[in-house]
Amino acid sequence: MNYITGYYTTRFGELWDKSLFDLVEEALRGVLKQNNLESSQIDAVFFGNMLAGVLENNLHSTSKIAEILKINVPIFRSEAACASGGVAFNLAKTYLDANPNQNILVIGAEKMTDYSPEETITGLSAAASGEEQEAGLTFSGLYAMMANLYIEKYHYTEENLAYVSVKNHYHGSLNEKAHFRRKISIENVLQSPYVAYPLKVLDSSPISDGASAVVLTNNQDIAKKQKHTVTILASEVATDTISLKGRKNLEEILATKNAADKAFKKAKINREDIGVAEVHDCFSIAEILAMENLGFWKKGQGGERIKELSTMYGNNGDLIVNTSGGLKAAGHPVGATGIKQIGEIFLQLTKQAEKRQVRNVKYGLAHNVGGSGGTAVVTILGI
Amino acid sequence: MISPIKIWRRQKEIRKILGKKGKVLVWTKIYMAGSDFKKYAPYPVVLVELENKEKIYGQLVDYRDTDLKIGKEVISILRKVRSSTDEGVIAYGVKFKPL
Repeated sequence: MNYITGYYTTRFGELWDKSLFDLVEEALRGVLKQNNLESSQIDAVFFGNMLAGVLENNLHSTSKIAEILKINVPIFRSEAACASGGVAFNLAKTYLDANPNQNILVIGAEKMTDYSPEETITGLSAAASGEEQEAGLTFSGLYAMMANLYIEKYHYTEENLAYVSVKNHYHGSLNEKAHFRRKISIENVLQSPYVAYPLKVLDSSPISDGASAVVLTNNQDIAKKQKHTVTILASEVATDTISLKGRKNLEEILATKNAADKAFKKAKINREDIGVAEVHDCFSIAEILAMENLGFWKKGQGGERIKELSTMYGNNGDLIVNTSGGLKAAGHPVGATGIKQIGEIFLQLTKQAEKRQVRNVKYGLAHNVGGSGGTAVVTILGI
Repeated sequence: MISPIKIWRRQKEIRKILGKKGKVLVWTKIYMAGSDFKKYAPYPVVLVELENKEKIYGQLVDYRDTDLKIGKEVISILRKVRSSTDEGVIAYGVKFKPL
């Protein structure tokens, strides 16, 4: 059995006084301290990061982590665009499956605000196809295409999408580590300027700095000593074409469906058993598609279901979504996001989520997407 | 700066898809662009299905707002795509105009 025994995240936001590796160090030391572990007890480290090589000519991060922790164990970096963190977690879990009695750190981190928005957008576009880049398509543009098609096909309006942001900003107001802690209204969303029609500023996750880390172990003695422990029931990765145009159906993310089907099968639980989920809401449309593609809502009904706000904390729904604030309000430091999502589920299942604690949850799901859907990771945790 | 070799390699393929008619499958208008495209924003981008069923992305030019709709008939043309620096090679590529 593989367990998560600790989670630490830095605050997410515009952290101009911190470098990438200041953030990495804070998260690593924070999670080690929480578990009363010495770095000498760590057998391997997995690091999720996308942009350090692109934006700041900063690679070979694995040996930088070795230098910070003063260790000489295997350290690996994963890159899968915005799913870099989720993939790092999946690789760590797979490593545990192959090696008994190991303690592993999984960290995701990104430093994005040292650069102009245009430079960061260009860096992020490295995860799109060459043809998409040459057409001037940004990631907001690709998700805007999905949104445009979804709205037209199922007869919705931009207002349907806005409910995602209102809900997630409310959740962000309850999370002291979130980038944005301000509640917003439907009118605020609809009146914000477009970034790529029909998506607006308040439909979009921000450019953020941050680092998040978890401790994984399959060492039963270490697990027993920890105050908080959750079981990793499944972590599954699926992939698809890098280019949106290569997909059969442009208003769904097939990689999410495939990863979710595999994860639920492996976890041996049903969709109805999940009480909390962190889904990849890089844009408002992305949460609606995620809820459909994960199998929680029927295809085409997401635009209507989100208006019920049953997935909002405090509304007594059976499934509460993105209690961290999601990418929209908690922030989206790309490499950190997948780990923060898993960490939020860890907090919920171990009753450490404070003001946003959902009651009586036994199972939680984290869903992390890379690019416009070229990679998806679905992780299911239980207590 | 974009490598001129990359541009040369890509442009060998572009001539094969010029002057082709097709229909807009989906569109968006980019307001917040990357560094190389900032000076052109806002600009519409369309995904077009050509008559031979091939799908191609490109910006829509010489358009009116009423042309921004799914199903609009367009034709592929050669236009300047971007020039990242004053010294760099100007990249030409496929764009579309309404029919």
